[in-house]
Amino acid sequence: MSQSPPSVFEPASKPVSPFSFGRVMVIASSSVTQLVRMKTFYFLLAFAAIIVVLMSLNPPTTPAGVLSTIKRISFGTMDIFAWLFAIVSTALLIPKDIEDRTLYTILSKPVRRIEYLIGKLLGVLFVIAVSLAVMYGICALALFSRESLYIAEELGAMQAGAQYSAEEVEAQIALIQQQGLRLELGIAVLASFLKSAVVASVTIFLSTFASSSLFSIIISVLIFIIGHAHTMATSFWLYQTDNSLLVELILKCVKIFIPNYQLYSFSHGIIQGEAVSYSLVWQMTGLTGVYLVVFIFLSLLVFIDKEF
Amino acid sequence: MSNCAVEVKNMTKVFSKGLKKSDYVVAVDNLSFEIETGEVYGLIGPNGSGKSTTMKVALGLMAPSRGSVKVFGFDSGDIRARNEIGFLPENPYFYKHLTGAETLKFCGKLCGFRGGELKDRIAELLELVELEGAAKRRLGGYSKGMLQRIGLAQALIQRPRLVILDEPTAGVDPLGSRQIRDLILKLKEDGITVFLCSHLLEQVQEVCDRVGIIFEGRMRREGPLAELIQINEQTSMTFAGAKPQLLAKVRDLIEAESDATIVEEGHPKTTLERLFISLSKSEKEEEERK
Amino acid sequence: MSHFKKIPRTVVILVVLAAFGLTRAPFEDRLVRDLIDTKMVVPPPGMTVLDQMGQSALMATLGGLRPLVASFMSLRGYENFSEKNWDELHQTYQVITALEPREEFHWVNAIWHLGINATANMELDTKIPEFERKRRFFNYAQQAIEFADKGIDQIPDSVEIRKQVAEVYREKLKDWSSAARTYGEIKDLDGAPQYAERFHGYFLAKVPGREREAYDYLKGLYDKGADQHLPTLIYEVRRLEEILKIPYPERIPEADLNRNRARPQKPKSKPLPGGVIIP
Ligand SMILES: Nc1ncnc2c1ncn2[C@@H]1O[C@H](COP(=O)(O)OP(=O)(O)O)[C@@H](O)[C@H]1O
Ligand SMILES: [Mg+2]
Repeated sequence: MSQSPPSVFEPASKPVSPFSFGRVMVIASSSVTQLVRMKTFYFLLAFAAIIVVLMSLNPPTTPAGVLSTIKRISFGTMDIFAWLFAIVSTALLIPKDIEDRTLYTILSKPVRRIEYLIGKLLGVLFVIAVSLAVMYGICALALFSRESLYIAEELGAMQAGAQYSAEEVEAQIALIQQQGLRLELGIAVLASFLKSAVVASVTIFLSTFASSSLFSIIISVLIFIIGHAHTMATSFWLYQTDNSLLVELILKCVKIFIPNYQLYSFSHGIIQGEAVSYSLVWQMTGLTGVYLVVFIFLSLLVFIDKEF
Repeated sequence: MSNCAVEVKNMTKVFSKGLKKSDYVVAVDNLSFEIETGEVYGLIGPNGSGKSTTMKVALGLMAPSRGSVKVFGFDSGDIRARNEIGFLPENPYFYKHLTGAETLKFCGKLCGFRGGELKDRIAELLELVELEGAAKRRLGGYSKGMLQRIGLAQALIQRPRLVILDEPTAGVDPLGSRQIRDLILKLKEDGITVFLCSHLLEQVQEVCDRVGIIFEGRMRREGPLAELIQINEQTSMTFAGAKPQLLAKVRDLIEAESDATIVEEGHPKTTLERLFISLSKSEKEEEERK
Repeated sequence: MSHFKKIPRTVVILVVLAAFGLTRAPFEDRLVRDLIDTKMVVPPPGMTVLDQMGQSALMATLGGLRPLVASFMSLRGYENFSEKNWDELHQTYQVITALEPREEFHWVNAIWHLGINATANMELDTKIPEFERKRRFFNYAQQAIEFADKGIDQIPDSVEIRKQVAEVYREKLKDWSSAARTYGEIKDLDGAPQYAERFHGYFLAKVPGREREAYDYLKGLYDKGADQHLPTLIYEVRRLEEILKIPYPERIPEADLNRNRARPQKPKSKPLPGGVIIP
């Protein structure tokens, strides 16, 4: 201890900026490490297992039908995994920091609370993005292998009799390819990501004042479910005139206070093979950004006054 | 600008305990004191007297209910104030999944250190707290003393001008607390202001320039340590090799004086702490001789 | 800052949430409409279907799990089919098609199960009294036709749905007029099989009283060129010429009968394997 040079303690604090994206990224990457070391990525194995089971199913339909079924179930499962992961991991992260009192260490450094919140959110989003990419990879592989198999089989069967024109063979292949792996499916994955991002920001907001992780998880799931009834609420609001005052009040509250998760169901259309409207996808992305900003701001309103 | 590193002015902190307005605890009550730059200041008081609360307010982890705390002229809670402070919490807690070196890296990055500079700083600090050997182990496997030391290292990472230590020697074995006291003296030598607190007077008396005695949230006594503890009208003497006849002579001599009395007589005891340290030192020396 | 502190945070949060909700509502409503118009989002199912759905399916729909629920319901539909539980199957498919009304495949399946399989079962199942069998036969066929109508409402230019319901008219109900009408619709759609325009004529020819119409149509096809000179077409034209007593100079020549024998009629791929399957 005695041989250390005196320079160790030379007062030389670095100047500190009011807001630093660098600090946000440090918090974000530490949350990623935290999630990785909590072994959260194991849920990807569960997903892979589901896909394997799915691939062994043989529903009584045509090749295109089988592909469509595989596609819908695997992408549906991917979507559930993404938003559930968003809720659970976000609900665990901040309370865990408080409980372990690591928050002390972090907030006693020159770090702003807003930087901490944004960092946590970005960390979760990064892990969701990576998980979605991996799950998409698994789905793509499964879908593509089935698709090539069916195309080969169909070609073999149709060419065996030599009674079909090239055009007809092509049409048949196109029928299969339409249900197979297509580039637009990436947009469906983006939809899942955007939705999970909003879910995560709502959960962060809840966890800034919730008394336990379980509470934030349950409330966030409830909000998620109610958030899908938006259009129903709107149509009641617009067309149903004989509602009781109470029902009307509840519907209006839902519409105003609950995020509209239903918008993100546009992934369903894409999975069914509808044409993608890119301008709408952009608008959805923008709207998601606004949701994130608003909910981080709300979280800050609660978090800034918190005492540890 | 005053020469104050920390300036606590009429600070009061009230915690509400229940839903009712009347249900509250006054943790700190109209507390005022100043710590000058370069000084080692100790806040002494029993558990629950408001020491940690005062420190948390200084760091901006809590807002004062009334009054103010300023650090180098900045309001507490200002990020510029925190940039000057290194803090060792009462029970330092870090991410258990990180290793010692990773913890320092994380804290260093939060303070704006990057690349080679950060690497050098980490190596420097690990050496300072003698944890080079444990740098690659996860904190989950650290002992209390090791945690305390890594806590000190992370507190010093950004070369703060003020170091706040909440019970730095609590729960640490005497050897460890000796090391920590040496470190505090070293900090003082380098001109760093140290603000520490403890519920045990003996553990800090050697290092503090000034102490404040706090009880139930209020400052009871304040001043240089020697002034606070010396008893001016008494004198103690310790003899070595004195025969009983000599002692009898001394006793007689004192009894002859009309205004002097013997208050206490007996064999001086080594304190347990001193015994422990001398024992472990001699063991070390023996080992070195081998 | 000091003023701000006095307002309770809960109030500030509620105000911000409400302001955000009111600002985004018009934008989101328009976005939902656009998404529904571009078929990217499926509108919520109507009340009648919601009633049938059962709680778990309803929750799932609300939770945005439509495709997943629809897929599992399809498996249940297959189970109903294996158990010849046709009434249950009818309900199952009502839910499936409500969940994913834009999925052509569900409509085709529903029509195939009810219109072909259920009716075939009624023709064969001797355990049920004759009268009841007949009544159910027509019920199931009628249900298949209802699915076709609703499906065509959802996917107006669907060839597959029409092909499947045409099969019901043709093979089960022997309703030549409806079969003719359906093939007539198919022939004008994109991706229609070539045989559709001929089938339209063939079934028209079988409707009593519409021989003239059928003759004009088929003769028109015949006159298009040698491509159309298929045996059935020539046979039908001849038959109609006989019935309508067309003057000989206007009748088609004799020699054409064997012209296209080298090119046999081939089946187009069907959406489902086999015509009639009874497990
Ligand atoms: N977050 C809190 N909520 C309520 N009461 C608290 C809180 N923190 C401390 N207290 C109370 O404030 C008093 C002072 O606590 P503290 O400052 O931790 O004492 P010390 O550090 O001197 O042992 C204690 O009575 C304690 O119970
Ligand atoms: Mg304390």
